[in-house]
Amino acid sequence: MQVEVRRFASLVREGVPGRAGEPAQVELPPSATIDDLLETLELRREEVHLVMVNGRTVSCGDHVLGDGDRVGLFPPVGGG
Amino acid sequence: MERILRINMTDRTATFEPVPDRYAHRAGRWLTSSIVHDEVPPTSHPLSPDNVVVFSPGVVTGTAAPTSSRISVGAKSPLTGTIKEANAGTGWGGRLARLGIRAIVVEGMASGDDWWLVKVSQDEGRFEPADEWSGIKLSEAYASIYERYGGVEAIDVCAIGVAGEQRMAAAGVCFSDREGRASRYAGRGGIGAVLGSKRLKAIIVDDSGAEGVSIADQALFDEGRKKVADALMSHDITKPKGALNTYGTAVLVNIINEAGALPTRNFREGRFDGAEKIAGEAIFDGNKERTGSELYNHPCSPGCIIACSNVWHREDGSEHTSCIEYESDWALGANCGIDDLDAIAEMNQLCNEYGLDTIEMGGTIAVAMEGGVAAFGDAQRAIELLHEVGEATPRGRILGNGAVVTGRAYGVERVPHVKGQNMPAYEPRAIKGIGMTYATTPMGADHTAGYTIAPEILGVSEKLDPLDPDKASVAKGFQEATAFIDSTGHCLFIAFAILDIESGFEGMIDECNGVLGTNWDADDVTRIGGEILALERAFNRKAGFTNVHDRLPAFMESEPLPPHDAVWDISDAELDKVSE
Ligand code: SF4
Repeated sequence: MQVEVRRFASLVREGVPGRAGEPAQVELPPSATIDDLLETLELRREEVHLVMVNGRTVSCGDHVLGDGDRVGLFPPVGGG
Repeated sequence: MERILRINMTDRTATFEPVPDRYAHRAGRWLTSSIVHDEVPPTSHPLSPDNVVVFSPGVVTGTAAPTSSRISVGAKSPLTGTIKEANAGTGWGGRLARLGIRAIVVEGMASGDDWWLVKVSQDEGRFEPADEWSGIKLSEAYASIYERYGGVEAIDVCAIGVAGEQRMAAAGVCFSDREGRASRYAGRGGIGAVLGSKRLKAIIVDDSGAEGVSIADQALFDEGRKKVADALMSHDITKPKGALNTYGTAVLVNIINEAGALPTRNFREGRFDGAEKIAGEAIFDGNKERTGSELYNHPCSPGCIIACSNVWHREDGSEHTSCIEYESDWALGANCGIDDLDAIAEMNQLCNEYGLDTIEMGGTIAVAMEGGVAAFGDAQRAIELLHEVGEATPRGRILGNGAVVTGRAYGVERVPHVKGQNMPAYEPRAIKGIGMTYATTPMGADHTAGYTIAPEILGVSEKLDPLDPDKASVAKGFQEATAFIDSTGHCLFIAFAILDIESGFEGMIDECNGVLGTNWDADDVTRIGGEILALERAFNRKAGFTNVHDRLPAFMESEPLPPHDAVWDISDAELDKVSE
């Protein structure tokens, strides 16, 4: 299956193609979880503060993703 | 000795008086709201001589406490008719505090057509003619005032622009940043118009000879400020090269958009297809491309560790505007359907030049677009409309009086406001707690009054579901804590660190106890915050506001907001719990 992933702020870094917020299609095995996705992207769990799936925050790494899900990955951010 | 400077515009006198006992320990928002509550007849017209404008630095402003150079400005608001406190980060507040001036109260009204500047120094407040700075851009006025009075090292400047001179309800109060730019605003609620009605163009503060803020317990204070500094230096959001220092407050554009809560095209949708083009990351990348180096943000005021204030550069690398805040970026961008950072920068700069609140103006232009004055996304037309405000044409006067007046003039139902103040950059249908703050704060729709976004979206302090309606106690708690922080003189952005790092929160209380010789603890934060809110609500009640005014506009209850298709569904009884 494919999920549509957007990375933001400091999670966008050298060696990773694309700009912050640019969608990337990521191929995953069926019933892959958030943890599987982070592993595929070589991101450490500690640096990803928030994961949003289809606009809702998902707290646990074993959340099972579905085909076509929109996933947003964020480090700690704040502002006003 | 702590004192209050009373500037009487009617007879052009400036008099020092001692701080009355009943105001002992009160500073910042606590003091501005106390004085407005005690001195302004609640039913008076905001542009009458009966209104006052109060300036007060916070408890620790002017000391070595980090990120604490804020100034609170209070009055009865011409935009909302409620009590108002707006604050800004600027060296102006620190200088005032070091002169031992707890507050400046501007009262009465000058007769005649002359404009006045008051120069505040150790021994006096001196009136000087200010006609030469009226009717011109604020950047030009500031440059000329600095030249006349000794430069950026010697003074800080507070002034109103043409919008304030014309007594428009979207006029803010402008303060100098650390480099002397006319860029830091106590923006909301139209207090600039109140100064304009009194014909006070500017107040400059020269702190030479100042004795500094007296500190009752230096050791305790030092311990406190170290704890706050440690928290700010270590938290990922507030530390050097952290989120705020790198991307500025506009780092929020993407996350609020992803959450489906970025108000788009006058609050029609919760996602903007151009979000990534205007986000903090795009500002960082754009500056890098145009200047050839990675630019981190700068402190708006002396002593700020977080340093979140940015500069946007033109293609040729020259400075276009400072600062593109999240709120301004959204208001003038996504909310108007505009995805071009250069256009947003131009609009931001025009607001700075004319002395306007960017949030109210972005909201107003969006309402005007709704009314057919321009198409959503038409940046060129939006820029022209801002010029009309600066020129005070008949249409410009309508726009300059904010979203509600504009909605009425153009027959628009969808005006997203509470108590006459346009909503800021978080969709209440998709984030319930912030909607409860908008509805119930004494200020009119204001996100800073109780920033529940921290737990609802950002996962700071805890993680709450933004669509969960059970937020009355969260909204109440945040409003109380905020009222206290607004009185300390700290920038509200320290909250990201001190809500997560307990010793930072203790440090803030230690600092206050160190300065004042008090014995406050965490319960006092809630108690004092509650007292401030009670004072403000008492004023509003006497001004004619009831629970019926603590509501969001009806269209939000019937129009589902994409992508979550959420409506505003918080009951009146639940809302009333927040202000109980
Ligand atoms: S955190 Fe930002 S807004 Fe607050 S005082 Fe520092 S630079 Fe100014």
